[in-house]
Amino acid sequence: MMVYSPGEVKFPTKKLFEKTTHLMHDGLNARAFGEFPKPEALGDARWTDDLILATWFMAETGEVPENFNYMTGKSGGGFDRLRFKFLAEEQWLEHGEHLDTRLDLNRRDDGRQQLTPDLPIYGGGMSYGSVSLNVMLSRARNSVKWNTYMSTGEGGYPEELYQYKENIITQVATGYFGVEERSIKASPIIEFKYAQGAKPGLGGHLLAAKSGGDVAKLRGSVPFVSLFSPFPFHSTYSVEDHMKHIDWVQTINPEALIAVKVSTPKDVDMVAVGSYYAGAHIIHLDGSYGGTGAAPEIAKKNIAMPIELAVPKVHKFLIKEGVRENVTLIASGGVRTADDVAKAIALGADGVVFGTSDLVAMGCTRCANCEGGPSGRGCPWGLTTTDVELQEWVQPDWAEKRLDNYYIAVQWRLRDIMRKLGLSHISELRGRTDLLRYVNGGEQ
Amino acid sequence: MVLSAELEHGSFAPESVASEVWGLTRGEARQRADTYQRYHIEALPTEEKWKIPRRFNVKVGKFGLAKMIFKEFFQYFGHWETVFSRPCTYGVFSGPIGGFSPRPDLCVGCLRCEVQHPDFVTVTPNGELRALGDKYLTYQHIYTIDQEAMRGTVPVRGQGYRGRFGGPGFDGMFTDMSEIVRPSRDGIHGRELIGTSVDIGAKPMHLEFDTEGNITNPPTTFTIQLPFIFDAPPTTLESDAVARIYVEAAEQVDTLAILPAKSIERLGLAGPNVVPIVTCSGCSVGPGTRMVELATWNHETYAHFAAQGYAVGVRLEMTGEWLSTLLEMQSAGVTIFHLLSDHHGRSGDGRFLIETLKEAHMALVEKGVRDEVTLLGSGGIAGADNLPKGIISGLDAVGLDHVLLIAMQARLSGDMQSRDTVTVQLPKKLDEAWAVQRLVNLSCSWRDQMLEILGAMGVREVRRLRGEFGRSMMCSELEAEAFGEIEGFPGGGR
Repeated sequence: MMVYSPGEVKFPTKKLFEKTTHLMHDGLNARAFGEFPKPEALGDARWTDDLILATWFMAETGEVPENFNYMTGKSGGGFDRLRFKFLAEEQWLEHGEHLDTRLDLNRRDDGRQQLTPDLPIYGGGMSYGSVSLNVMLSRARNSVKWNTYMSTGEGGYPEELYQYKENIITQVATGYFGVEERSIKASPIIEFKYAQGAKPGLGGHLLAAKSGGDVAKLRGSVPFVSLFSPFPFHSTYSVEDHMKHIDWVQTINPEALIAVKVSTPKDVDMVAVGSYYAGAHIIHLDGSYGGTGAAPEIAKKNIAMPIELAVPKVHKFLIKEGVRENVTLIASGGVRTADDVAKAIALGADGVVFGTSDLVAMGCTRCANCEGGPSGRGCPWGLTTTDVELQEWVQPDWAEKRLDNYYIAVQWRLRDIMRKLGLSHISELRGRTDLLRYVNGGEQ
Repeated sequence: MVLSAELEHGSFAPESVASEVWGLTRGEARQRADTYQRYHIEALPTEEKWKIPRRFNVKVGKFGLAKMIFKEFFQYFGHWETVFSRPCTYGVFSGPIGGFSPRPDLCVGCLRCEVQHPDFVTVTPNGELRALGDKYLTYQHIYTIDQEAMRGTVPVRGQGYRGRFGGPGFDGMFTDMSEIVRPSRDGIHGRELIGTSVDIGAKPMHLEFDTEGNITNPPTTFTIQLPFIFDAPPTTLESDAVARIYVEAAEQVDTLAILPAKSIERLGLAGPNVVPIVTCSGCSVGPGTRMVELATWNHETYAHFAAQGYAVGVRLEMTGEWLSTLLEMQSAGVTIFHLLSDHHGRSGDGRFLIETLKEAHMALVEKGVRDEVTLLGSGGIAGADNLPKGIISGLDAVGLDHVLLIAMQARLSGDMQSRDTVTVQLPKKLDEAWAVQRLVNLSCSWRDQMLEILGAMGVREVRRLRGEFGRSMMCSELEAEAFGEIEGFPGGGR
């Protein structure tokens, strides 16, 4: 095993940068256009080789591919077994901008600002440290372009992000890493992260190798020490305590919308209603098949439930409690494609959060070495790393363009689904399980 | 009480408590306090003796590579660092002649090389690795167990789950977690406070006293520190070394090694952590033994060993009328039941452990005796997540079998489902100390993973997890609830 020693690696020379990025960009392009056979080692049941290559194609072109399945994976359940009951072709609506994909985030009628992203999608929290600053900047710029938002994750609010502050969500998580009055004041949305779908109930963990100088400084720590976020908030024992949390943030920023990110335990419906009554504008459910920069393998599939099973449960309970129209329900944790977005909405969500999809659009192969891998340096593609050399492979200009293209393709496919269902606004799809059908093994 | 009186009057002084309450000097009290030890498993890195096949094969076209070097030599002339840079941070191309002789053992499958150089680099999954195991104990399980036994740590990786949605067997069960309101403040900083010890044996539900005030029915339980035990290796494997390894490892981590009585006697392995499987009253049991297991139910043999004061368990294959037999045995006084499924976790009628264990647990609950007895179960344990799921299903402690051999880098082949038909090939020149450490490491890793699950739930001790179906969710039931109204869903739909 190679042993990584901080300081061995240096900033790449101009020539090395040119060579590497040129080869990387050309390679991603060639793979996206199917110029070579699909890599045999690429993909898994959830993110198949086709889904990854299709995402790369969309990131290159802004269009959906003809040669790759860009809609479903092969996990044998959940989104992968759901299909839409499209109308007969003669009943389809015209494809175009009149098909409204915007999402209202404030439904409380409380006099605060209304935030309406152009897509029913915003960017999930990936902290500085778990990803590079370049990745954060790329996502932030894309969020500006799409009038949507991106969460900081729990790692602080890097100075460079303030120029995009209208589109940045400040996350307050259990370790309070990097939480400052300034960043809370700057944000249109404050997100309380109670738990993460990939490791529910376990808190957070940034491995020492990824907690370098700037990362540690922003988190108020010393470099190269493993940083744990506890679970849960040690000041929160009840929904009433949760309410005090929200009051505290609202005192600092009375205009901000409040998002509460929770995972999907058995009583997720009760948690959602409790969060609503505590003052949340957005209930964000993070399912157990979601992404992570580092999590115990045992947690990923075994604790809590997949998002497809949690959304209908919460949606129905919010209706039963008579508060469904007053809160925005967001789904994440295994939402991979535009089809997944539409299915999540049909199951009862208002919108979704993208995380892994953004990374795949920027070149991720899901090799699962984000936590550092055997090299200790993190992602070899320069995404989930703060290694001084590797992070340079992802430059904001290039990555922002890929994300923009990807979102163009996602919006196109969302509109494609809407028109084939005869819907002119994405909100009309919410909770419409009658527009879905379940396919059994082998059926398409 | 002196202590409460002193506390009440604010004159509490530790030394006076030590001397007046317990009759100890201050030094003696300190000495006694210093004997307290927190339970800890000493995991140490162990090297591989029989290297598990690598995950990927890497093939580099020599001509393509030479062409690239030639081109870059001129393109980046003078910038030698650039010329010799390679798209691998793991050292696959770091050998003396670089990519001309790649080192696929170091490959993690990031595919940067294959994407950047699609014309002459290919990375493929290694078929040799994928051929290990069977459809239940898969190559992924084997690879993970190998890593756990090598390091003794909790496997931590980036990215999300990669497998199928739910799935058969234990994959169809999710464990619960507590979001905000939770019974404890455990989690990542409180794991050391979670108990994993379990009691084995007969537990009286109330104490009885004689006229002198002495307890007449003292508990006969004993405690082990882990909710899993080492079950006997298959009969197809006759290895004295394996028996010695199991016993030594069981002693180190304070669990039980269950082995045939003949092996124990012949090798002189008897002790408190060793459980001989006896077949008749004539079997001898060595000194220090706390518990014996009957190979099959026999009232006379049971009575023979029970009369000698041993905790007596009975091995019971879940075939035929096994549940009736279990209840009959309970009526006859048996308090430790060791339920055996096949190695895919199936009982004789094909049902999976979750269902059959729940049936056994609930039958004992309905009879009002569940807390008086101990349920052990073996067969079908393939990964660390199976432990909490087995306990939720009703077990007090889970038996490990094939996974112990995998941890020692044994290769299993043949019919791996049936009991005692598997072919086991041990590493050549098995180093017993090395193998013991591998089992200790596996125990450490699995215990720590158990703590992750318990911590997420806010459960302070594993004993409270037994039969807690309410802290689990079955994928099939959640699917019926979520998708029941959707057209085409089996059993539902519009």
